[in-house]
Amino acid sequence: MTRGEKKQLRAGLGFTSLWILGLGAFTAYPVMASLYYSFCDYSILKGPVWSGLDNYTQLVQDGLFWKSLRNTLFYAGLSVPLGTVVALGLAVLLNCEVRGKSAFRLLFFMPSIVPVVASAMLWLWIFNGEYGLMNGFLNPLLAPFGLHGPAWLADPAWSKPALIIMSVWGTGNAMVIYLAGLQNVPAELYEAAEIDGASAWQRFIHVTLPAIAPVVAFNAIMALIGAMQLFAQAYIMSEGANGNGNASDGNPARSTLFYTIYLFTTAFQDLRMGYASAMAYVLFIITAGLTWLAARLSRGRNEGAL
Amino acid sequence: MILKSKTSILLFLALLLPAAAAPVHVVYWEKWNGFEQQAMQAVIDKFNASQDRIIVDYYDQTGQIDRKTLVVTAGGDPPDIAGLHERNIATFADAEALEPLDGFIRAEGLSTAQWLDRYYPIYAGICTHGGHVYAGISTPVIETLYWNRTLFREAGLDPDRPPATLAEFNAYAKRLTKHDPKTGRLTQVGFLPQDPGWWPWIFCDWFGGSLYDGHNVTFSTNPANLAAYTWMQQFTKDNGLDNVKLFSSEFGPWASSSAPFFTGKIAMIFQGCFYDNYISQFKPGLDYGVGPWPEAVPGVKDFAMAEADVLVIPRGAKHPREAWEFIKYCNSTNPKAQTREELQGAELLDYLQVKLSPLKEWSPYFTDHNSHPHIGMFRRLASSPHAVCVPQIGIWMEYNREVISSFDRVRLLDATPEEALAYSQDRLEASWTRYRRSLERHGQWAALGEVHP
Amino acid sequence: MERRSKLSRAVVVTLLLLFSAAFLAPFVWLVSTSLKPIEQTLSLPVSFIPKAYFAQIDGKRTEVTLDFPVDQSGAVIRVLAGDDAGKQLYLDDARIAARPKDYAVVHVVSPGSWHVSQRLEHELGTIGPAPDWDIVPKTAIETRVKFRWGNYPKALASMGGGDQPGRKHVGFWTYLGNSLTVAVLGVLGTVISNAIVAYGFARLKWKGRDAFFALTLATMMVPFPVLMVPLYGVFKAFGLIGTLMPLWLPTWFGSAFNIFLMRQFFRTIPEELSEAARIDGCSEWRIFWRIIVPLSTPVLVVAALFHFIFTWNDFLGPLLFLTRKDTYTLALALQSYESQNGGVQWHYLMAASAVTILPVIILFLFAQKTFIRGIATTGTKG
Repeated sequence: MTRGEKKQLRAGLGFTSLWILGLGAFTAYPVMASLYYSFCDYSILKGPVWSGLDNYTQLVQDGLFWKSLRNTLFYAGLSVPLGTVVALGLAVLLNCEVRGKSAFRLLFFMPSIVPVVASAMLWLWIFNGEYGLMNGFLNPLLAPFGLHGPAWLADPAWSKPALIIMSVWGTGNAMVIYLAGLQNVPAELYEAAEIDGASAWQRFIHVTLPAIAPVVAFNAIMALIGAMQLFAQAYIMSEGANGNGNASDGNPARSTLFYTIYLFTTAFQDLRMGYASAMAYVLFIITAGLTWLAARLSRGRNEGAL
Repeated sequence: MILKSKTSILLFLALLLPAAAAPVHVVYWEKWNGFEQQAMQAVIDKFNASQDRIIVDYYDQTGQIDRKTLVVTAGGDPPDIAGLHERNIATFADAEALEPLDGFIRAEGLSTAQWLDRYYPIYAGICTHGGHVYAGISTPVIETLYWNRTLFREAGLDPDRPPATLAEFNAYAKRLTKHDPKTGRLTQVGFLPQDPGWWPWIFCDWFGGSLYDGHNVTFSTNPANLAAYTWMQQFTKDNGLDNVKLFSSEFGPWASSSAPFFTGKIAMIFQGCFYDNYISQFKPGLDYGVGPWPEAVPGVKDFAMAEADVLVIPRGAKHPREAWEFIKYCNSTNPKAQTREELQGAELLDYLQVKLSPLKEWSPYFTDHNSHPHIGMFRRLASSPHAVCVPQIGIWMEYNREVISSFDRVRLLDATPEEALAYSQDRLEASWTRYRRSLERHGQWAALGEVHP
Repeated sequence: MERRSKLSRAVVVTLLLLFSAAFLAPFVWLVSTSLKPIEQTLSLPVSFIPKAYFAQIDGKRTEVTLDFPVDQSGAVIRVLAGDDAGKQLYLDDARIAARPKDYAVVHVVSPGSWHVSQRLEHELGTIGPAPDWDIVPKTAIETRVKFRWGNYPKALASMGGGDQPGRKHVGFWTYLGNSLTVAVLGVLGTVISNAIVAYGFARLKWKGRDAFFALTLATMMVPFPVLMVPLYGVFKAFGLIGTLMPLWLPTWFGSAFNIFLMRQFFRTIPEELSEAARIDGCSEWRIFWRIIVPLSTPVLVVAALFHFIFTWNDFLGPLLFLTRKDTYTLALALQSYESQNGGVQWHYLMAASAVTILPVIILFLFAQKTFIRGIATTGTKG
């Protein structure tokens, strides 16, 4: 290296020294340690004891691991598309020059910045089978048909839909992103389409959608990664609806036993830190795969659009 | 100059001396707020006033105190005393999160057997695990049968005579179930196992089964457990799943004026001795009775469920000796107390919390002037040889989750009892095998294994 | 801009209004519940307006709580003899007829009456002396609208379980202080450390820079559960478990997302400015501090806002690392309205939730434009 290059290197490392420390202590070390623990029998009060592939083989055979994965995929698979459609739909509506646009935008965005504990408690209350707002609204509508609002969080069939509905309430930040994306679509494309005689619907399908597809795809994948790590809402809501502090089992009937909740229970209630680390690594692999997919999609689409 | 330094030395010593004699502050984490906290605070105040070496500081940690204590003990900074549940002891002891109390007991000049002799056997058992004493009792609970006398009367049953056998119980339950003649919906039910539904495992024991025989998990292998789950499912089957779901969705929280037992929706319920407090708060005027469990296994009279809030010393506590002093205080009494002021320790706490005392010997005042309206019944059940508590197995947290999950599946008709129990048994057997192997790896199984019957 | 017919505009506005109602309803419900007394939160039918009930009892107009309807005739009696002597009970006619000598009838009850308690406040989980109760005919009850503004101070006072005798007050202000401490220290750490690190990646050329940056991006993929357990061990080794430090200390060492954010922005600043300064003999640090930072206010504000919202929101972190009640943040303290007997004080919980949401909303109202622009740029860049 030349002297100039050495000087540059010193400067570069100097400026990034904080990050080097942080990366080492708060990311690199934990990632390595987790990997090690995943091959150990470790209960944090007693030291880790090497156990080889035990944790991973148990994982594969563990019915609850698969169940929690299924629950998580069900939730993510419904909440992300639904949230995307709603966010996109609202963005399209707002993109039509209407009066009071900024007030609407504010209203739709606010729920996404409400602290998750507060909103989980609020929705827990809304979904109360007897006194909650949701059934208070639904029951009079269903009564003529002899039907009744479900018990939501106390009914295994309806507990995940309740969480999905709650997640849709919080898609405001995606809506803002899509709105910005819509406004970035060049006006010339629309004019050209209009000249060609395209109707509003056709303009939407052939101009708008392709133009914002990269943004939508990227954000959908990010949302998917977030949904896979759902914890706080499910933790708070399954505890509140079913009482007695059995929060860690996704009751009723383990319908809200999501991946991170099972991980947390295994680590901090059953004290099986090694097993929890193995679960964490499996999640890592899934997340990494999805991220790679997101990178490929957004790069590929960008190149195509250009 | 010299004068100044002498004065300063004297001042320094004067400041130091009180510090050397300053009382030790014992950090005590407990799960109560509300009147139970006030009761414990009264006991703490009396203890603090009775000597000047130790001051106990109460910190309330409502919600998940067991997980929090575990995390803090792992973090190396635990409280000196933690108020856990009896079901935590085996898990915590196996995890080496607790200080055994044996040494402290011996320092009092007692053997552990002599110490444990002061309790009713069921509570003595709760305090021990693997042959060592790990806990003292703070407040004991007994669960038994409560029934609504008004509803009995309406159904033509003698309100003073609860069902005496399981067969009678089933018959009473049917008789106390009413439907709306027009819609067929339930308006009243004799009994529903899911209210409160906190301990489905007790019905297994009631039927003569057991969850753990000291060596193996016996959830699905003991036929009486299957009988119990079948019996629990029968209530849903007899009344219709949709009907029960609809009916249960109208239940208010158990500790409110719209609780199903209080509003006459359920006629019979198994609850703890603390229930009388809630009745007098939320539904004064409710005409109810308290009686023993009906006889389910012929010859087994006075079956009872026992629970307790316990006091433990987490490993790494800074003041274990002082913590022991307080635990000892809460597990002793003034056996000759004739007045309210003379009540001490366990009896004072249990008097104020309106519960029974876990000790065999009761003072005259506690016996005759007890604050609980049905204390005699609970004392009888506590001393019964057929009282049971949760199995002292280290994987209890997971076991309980399986018990409840199986119960949910069975009562929602998602699975037959055989299927549900078999599924849980498989998981628990794998878990237990793994747990035992872990104990062996850490050199603990030998000591434990010897003690298991 | 597209021209739209009146009809489609009306459709758009209607849809927006419908969605607005749906999005707004939970907030309205939040406020409505926070202004009710506890027994009205647990009552049917579902209503938005809190009420107060008054009844004539013993000739006096007293405020009562409406407990439950009594659907059969009977009487309120005082028991004179037997096991229940001295108690006040409500019994049906048949029962009274059976033992008339043991009862003194206080007053007679007809079907359709209401059981009322002369209590002004309900507190779940506390036992006082047995409250007065009575049974009055429906017609004797007067209904008024009454907002219980007092719920707010009471909710904040009882947050975390209320005061303990002889100990310093640990309540709302403590939790707020903790949340603010973590937020402010975290924001400072985020802004300062990430600006410095991002400068190193954006404005300097050095060997291995791009590879290191790619590694940095890669760390964004690591889900928190992977870090959870060992991080706990790291903080335990330094004796930090139980303090607030695990929640803000790592922010002073950079974070991948913010490095990425700021690097993008720094690269848009013209290189000529740096070149000119270098020719003048400025050190890199001076260039950073004097030229780049003043020009970077937009991205610094966005990073600060994002981080503030993140910490205000954070639940898993405090759940894991905070053990002593006096270190709790608001997020954890909100869970304390569930008393250990399972009853939730919904009215207080909603009031406390409203108070927790407020700072974030106020912040947002002030920094709306920056906020939305920040989200839009990060999201659309992809």
